[in-house]
Amino acid sequence: MKSLQVVKYGEISESLAFNETDKPQVQANDVLIEVKASAINPIDKSIILGNLQSLLPIPLPATSAYDVSGVVVEKGQEVSDFEIGDLVYSRVPQEQMGTLAEYVAVISSAVSKKPGNISFEEAAGIPLAGLTALQSLEYAGIKENDKVLIHAGSGGVGSFAIQYAKAKGAYVFTTTSTGNVKWVKELGADRVIDYKTEDYKDIAKDVDIVFDTLGRHYSLESFELVKEGGKVVSVVGPLDEASAKMFGMNDYKLPAELAKASSEKNAEYKFIFMHPNGSHLNQIKLMIEDEQIKPIIDKVYPFSEGIQAFTHLASGRAKGKIVVKIS
Amino acid sequence: MENLINKIKERLHLSSEAEAFLYSISNEKELVKGDVVIRPGQVVKKTYFVISGCLRSYCIDTNGKEHTLLFAIKDWWISDYMAIHSEDISTLTIECLTDSKVIEFNAKELDEIHTRFPEFESYQRQNLERHVVNLQMRILNQLQLSAAERYDLFLEKYSDIEKQIRNFHVASFLGITQESLSRIRVERAKK
Repeated sequence: MKSLQVVKYGEISESLAFNETDKPQVQANDVLIEVKASAINPIDKSIILGNLQSLLPIPLPATSAYDVSGVVVEKGQEVSDFEIGDLVYSRVPQEQMGTLAEYVAVISSAVSKKPGNISFEEAAGIPLAGLTALQSLEYAGIKENDKVLIHAGSGGVGSFAIQYAKAKGAYVFTTTSTGNVKWVKELGADRVIDYKTEDYKDIAKDVDIVFDTLGRHYSLESFELVKEGGKVVSVVGPLDEASAKMFGMNDYKLPAELAKASSEKNAEYKFIFMHPNGSHLNQIKLMIEDEQIKPIIDKVYPFSEGIQAFTHLASGRAKGKIVVKIS
Repeated sequence: MENLINKIKERLHLSSEAEAFLYSISNEKELVKGDVVIRPGQVVKKTYFVISGCLRSYCIDTNGKEHTLLFAIKDWWISDYMAIHSEDISTLTIECLTDSKVIEFNAKELDEIHTRFPEFESYQRQNLERHVVNLQMRILNQLQLSAAERYDLFLEKYSDIEKQIRNFHVASFLGITQESLSRIRVERAKK
């Protein structure tokens, strides 16, 4: 089968190639998905550039991407919740990475039926960003009337998180640049902060939850805004100590400034590792079918132009998801 | 099963042999919300009479979007008749939208009733005519009525279950977006 693979680490144009690979074998708990569409995410770009080599050692060549929508064409003997012919979507686990291919085998617990009211292309753009947003905001215990600051509202995760938080009845602050203010507002954010002309720290105050999708100084600054006893959840900032322990880093300490800020506010800091989860995707499916959340596609590329899709991702200018149509 | 027998008895004299035959080929089933009774690509042998609840038949287009053909509620029949007629595989999915009770028949066995008990010929012909009338109305309504008018008709027909059906299914039955459906509902509420 045809696959778009990372063949070496480095510049996108030199590191990706179309290769002929074997159709994946289905294990007892797997379904084999005939891929209709795949979506790419910033992590896919980081892998190609080699930025994650120490954290995620992936033997090359490796087929790229994690997000997929398609049709179940085969299933392992232990799979009971899916049938051949089911239309599904998934963020595949690390060890099954490789959705930029004609087929991908995925453990069924990471799979959900796809929303029936959107196309394969739209569905492919949901899983990674959607799970990241859902798991972060649910960890923070989001509830009605909470004040939530979501950084980078026009990003894949941010644009989903705004809609999710609104569906939960929260009041949403979000930051974006001037050109994106209008459409981010249309996603439902209550107060869109144009970071080019306004200081978000003057506007978002005493919030219950900060969702940090930017890292750098933004992680620390979150504690200036969060209310006493609030929550700061981050998907890009420093690891928290409990998460570091999970990775076997027993001596790891939260950076001192962050630890101090967190304890002064009695506010928890948590790094969220998105994990593949079919039942979370099923919750998202229902919310999409009820139009509480809409998929946002920047551009759909044909499979033959898969490498251009990565160049576009690398430009950082996409508003919404970049999708590759496979079949 | 008594429901169906009583309905038949309203329209024809049902001999005890015919009644016994109907019982012998029927299989009463309790289905739960989300159960799928017919899937695309499968050979269709069964047809269902709904005692209670609601089933939906829909097709999926090449983009992966669902289009609702029919909601079957109390006293309706549902199957993929195109597949049965042409002895081909199903193009439809039929799923339970609510916990439902149905009577399942093997379509071929049900067909046999005509040769064994000729009185069923006219009964079945009437059923078919009704079905065709329904389909014809659905096509004509789709062609000539506004979305709001189609929604009014939907409410008339499915008043018992409207609250239990998700907006997404109603919109896909009417062939409109959910946003349009919401607008129609708001306009209707103002009247």
